[in-house]
Amino acid sequence: MVELTDTQKDFMNTAFKLAYEALELQEVPVGCIFVHSSEIVATGCNTVNETRNATRHAELNCIDIVNDICKSRGQDVRDFFAGIEVYVTVEPCIMCAAALYDLNVKSIIYGCKNDRFGGSTVFDVASVLHPITQSVGGFRAEEAMSLLKTFYKGTNPSAPPHKVKLKNKDK
Amino acid sequence: MHSWINLSAKNMSDSKRRKLQTPFYPVLSPEFTDETPLTQVYVDTIKNIKLISKVLVELNSVLPISELCHLKRARGRDILVCQCSGDLQSEDVHQILKEKKFDVSQLEGNIKKILVAEIAPKTKKQYQTVNKLWPCNFHSDKYIEQLHDNSLFGASEINDHIKYMHIAVDIAKFYNSHSGVTVIDPSINSIVAVGFDTQHNNPCQHAVMVAIDHVAVTQNGGAWNPTRGDTVACNNKIVSGLPSEALKFLQEKYTCIEFGAKKFKAKPDAETPSDGPYLCTGYVLYVTREPCIMCSMALVHSRIKRVFFGAKNNSGGLGSLCQIHTVKHLNHHYEVFGGLLEHECSSLVTVCS
Ligand SMILES: [Zn+2]
Ligand SMILES: [Zn+2]
Repeated sequence: MVELTDTQKDFMNTAFKLAYEALELQEVPVGCIFVHSSEIVATGCNTVNETRNATRHAELNCIDIVNDICKSRGQDVRDFFAGIEVYVTVEPCIMCAAALYDLNVKSIIYGCKNDRFGGSTVFDVASVLHPITQSVGGFRAEEAMSLLKTFYKGTNPSAPPHKVKLKNKDK
Repeated sequence: MHSWINLSAKNMSDSKRRKLQTPFYPVLSPEFTDETPLTQVYVDTIKNIKLISKVLVELNSVLPISELCHLKRARGRDILVCQCSGDLQSEDVHQILKEKKFDVSQLEGNIKKILVAEIAPKTKKQYQTVNKLWPCNFHSDKYIEQLHDNSLFGASEINDHIKYMHIAVDIAKFYNSHSGVTVIDPSINSIVAVGFDTQHNNPCQHAVMVAIDHVAVTQNGGAWNPTRGDTVACNNKIVSGLPSEALKFLQEKYTCIEFGAKKFKAKPDAETPSDGPYLCTGYVLYVTREPCIMCSMALVHSRIKRVFFGAKNNSGGLGSLCQIHTVKHLNHHYEVFGGLLEHECSSLVTVCS
């Protein structure tokens, strides 16, 4: 597996913080950040329950933020997305992968596999869209997966989010 | 309201008439349309036909064929011994039976290799093909057969489908968009939401994504569209899934059509999870152009029941590039029909894009 640079690890860490925040808000714990020219330009988590819209995944929330930035700066959206690096705690789903590939984002770096909806694990979107986007996963995968498991198990008082956090920091 | 199709062919049989008039086609999973995969088995012949039931009971207990349980064990005096697997030679078959204490003297020993269905056939057509190779169990599923031979809908339902796609075309034209959407709650025959493409504003705002967010608005949610409050229509339905200008335009054009969603119950009021609308559960979506992969998967997440599209799309996810609605591992699947008002729908694409 490719090693992340220290800067990339920091970005991944920011994405994980968002995932823990999502868990506390009882949303699917996925955190995502968009980086452009080494600068974080968007952060997002899943807001499906809040919006009652099942498509409001962390990645799409970040796309909206970047879109707003481009519009306010009068910058070409597609040009800007070509320089975006995506850091996300869980492999993007088929929908988000298709959206990110369509925007030609530069790269996607993710944590664990998404075995329910994954855009390469469940159906390989790249095999039909042939994107230029570089995609690589497996970073802090166990931690990302245990976050998901905590969520799908329901609110488990014996394993609150901060405990999970501590346990994984030990490694 | 004018009749959308001509019902003049009175002397044709009902199913034939329906088949000819169904102005769309189902987009089915390959497991229904492809030929059933085949595998090889070893077959021997029983010496005394009178003993067949005894021999079969013995054989089933010493050498069950659990992977091929859709197959009958016998055809006349021929009996299916086992699947040809790995380097199992026909000479070894009796040896295996002997090891299992099966009396091989009851068999002729004229072992043959034959091709049979590897999995149970899913449709009558598949059954008829593989049953000729070796007798097969088959439970016909009426719904699947109707889906497969495109006879699921009666004339008045077909008229409704055409009507709702016409409205999707109207919405596309009204917003000068190359794609238009209507979302229907078939349980009350009412238009819950509409959608149109606003990619010039946001690259993810494809017509389907916009429509899904409009549905969320009817449930006091929504990300792109601010909640327009509890706007209740005349018949106690929520019409906030349609922008007011679109609602006004459609209400004037179609006087006999219902608009709005069933009243949404927030968690504290809902007695059961099935109480009131949830995402797009039970809804039917009409879109003028085959949705892309993002939109196709968005409809899986939203738990739509059925999707009709008009024109095919080179980058479409419901038949052209792939079939997102039939991906095995997904937790929700929906039905897809294509080609509805194909001509009108494809002219939208060329005019506006
Ligand atoms: Zn997603
Ligand atoms: Zn789309």
